[in-house]
Amino acid sequence: MADSVRLAVVIAAKDIRAELRNRTALLSATVFAALVLVIFYFSRDPTAVPAIVLAPSVLWVTFAFAAIVALNRAFTVEREHGAMDGLLLAPVPRGAIFLGKYLANLAFVAAVQAVTLPLFVVFFNVDLGSALPGIVATAALASIGFVAVGTVFSAMAVRTRFAELMLPVLLLPFMVWPVRWAVEATARLLDGRPLSELAGWLRLLALYDVVFLTLCIMIFGAVVDE
Amino acid sequence: MTEPRDNGLDRARTLSRRGLGISVVALAAFAGVCVLALGFTPVEARQGLAQKIFYLHVPAAWSSLLAFSIVGIVSILYLWLRDRRLDLFAESSAEVGVMFSVVMLTTGPIWAKPIWGTWWTWDARLTLTLFVFFLFVGYLALRAAIHDPDERARFSAVLGIMGLVLVPFIHLSVYLFRTLHPQPIVLKPSAPSLPWEMLRTLLASVVTFTLLYIGLVTTRYGLALGRRARETPDAA
Amino acid sequence: MPPDNGGYMVAGYVVTATILLVYVVTLWRRAKRVTSDVTSDK
Repeated sequence: MADSVRLAVVIAAKDIRAELRNRTALLSATVFAALVLVIFYFSRDPTAVPAIVLAPSVLWVTFAFAAIVALNRAFTVEREHGAMDGLLLAPVPRGAIFLGKYLANLAFVAAVQAVTLPLFVVFFNVDLGSALPGIVATAALASIGFVAVGTVFSAMAVRTRFAELMLPVLLLPFMVWPVRWAVEATARLLDGRPLSELAGWLRLLALYDVVFLTLCIMIFGAVVDE
Repeated sequence: MTEPRDNGLDRARTLSRRGLGISVVALAAFAGVCVLALGFTPVEARQGLAQKIFYLHVPAAWSSLLAFSIVGIVSILYLWLRDRRLDLFAESSAEVGVMFSVVMLTTGPIWAKPIWGTWWTWDARLTLTLFVFFLFVGYLALRAAIHDPDERARFSAVLGIMGLVLVPFIHLSVYLFRTLHPQPIVLKPSAPSLPWEMLRTLLASVVTFTLLYIGLVTTRYGLALGRRARETPDAA
Repeated sequence: MPPDNGGYMVAGYVVTATILLVYVVTLWRRAKRVTSDVTSDK
């Protein structure tokens, strides 16, 4: 068990190092997120709706799109370099491979979110104030879940002809829910509501994470093995 | 080597014929249900004639959810037993399920507009079936995009299982939202105490739609077996 | 006095019957094509 975790970390580190060396994916995902923010900003009517009302939805739609771009990139790179074949030939537990890919994807998505959030604050002139730790925690809880599902689906999508189209088609029904709960929680956080009002949504997010992370670890083998 | 091929095709032929027979009977029953609902069931006082769509909409939702659950369960069985026929059965259930979903998603708004005043509402039933529809579409799209049968079966099974696991979360989410935002109860289309005439029509329709599901899946499964028998002459 | 919305009812029943019939007929034709003609390709 500890071996698997160590293996996962090694695999993740390797992927992250590869990504840091060639930063195009990170940069393009960040630029994409910034573009989405700008479009949202210009499309709203400032007299009708104050930015703060739209803030949670805008933030999360941006996060969601950026995550999909990130997940697509991860496996496309994989396919081009054939890196995973070597891993699969070795008797490495498939759950460990999944965990490694997953952690790398999660780090990537977290990095994009870390850059997007300040951009959002700047563009929309929103004062996060005391809501910041809560928002970070919510983002983490939501991302943990949908990145797991996304990692499995991108492994499948990459084997199809229209991978970039297939991933969103498969992933969105699964992603809508954690994003929805995250939006509810973020909206209440920005409103300064007490924790008790958030608790239900955060609990759902946590449950989703536990259930799907476990399921994905178990089921990844069926995707990569004959 | 035509012998095994003919055997496979024989079984396919029998199944599709039997399935069609059941489907025809179910269609006749459906006609009967329509007569029952339109002619022999009392009109709901507050909602009027449009309420009668209820007798089609609810059973269609039931059938699509049934189809979806079966895809999920058969997917688990496939990953466990790796029998290709299970994969073909799941594929059949998904196709029939998507058809019922379309019925549900078209009758839903047609019913909602006169009753609720809006074409769509994010209530439990409509939300769930909308997402089941998206999952079905994703499932069939994935299958269409993969050429290797083994890979297609494995990937579909993974998606089927993930989809099955998602459903309880949709329920929980709708429930949580509802407890925090209690909707004013303007009209309750399906009151817990339905008068007997309405209840029996609803039950008859549910039975009919279930029969229709069984007949259509059997036919579609026969079709799938037949396709397979043609492509691989020496497969069982 | 119940509201006059019979049009919706008719629409609902017609749409349902159409979808069901179209599916059954196309399924029947697909099944016939695959299982009856042994000599031609799929």
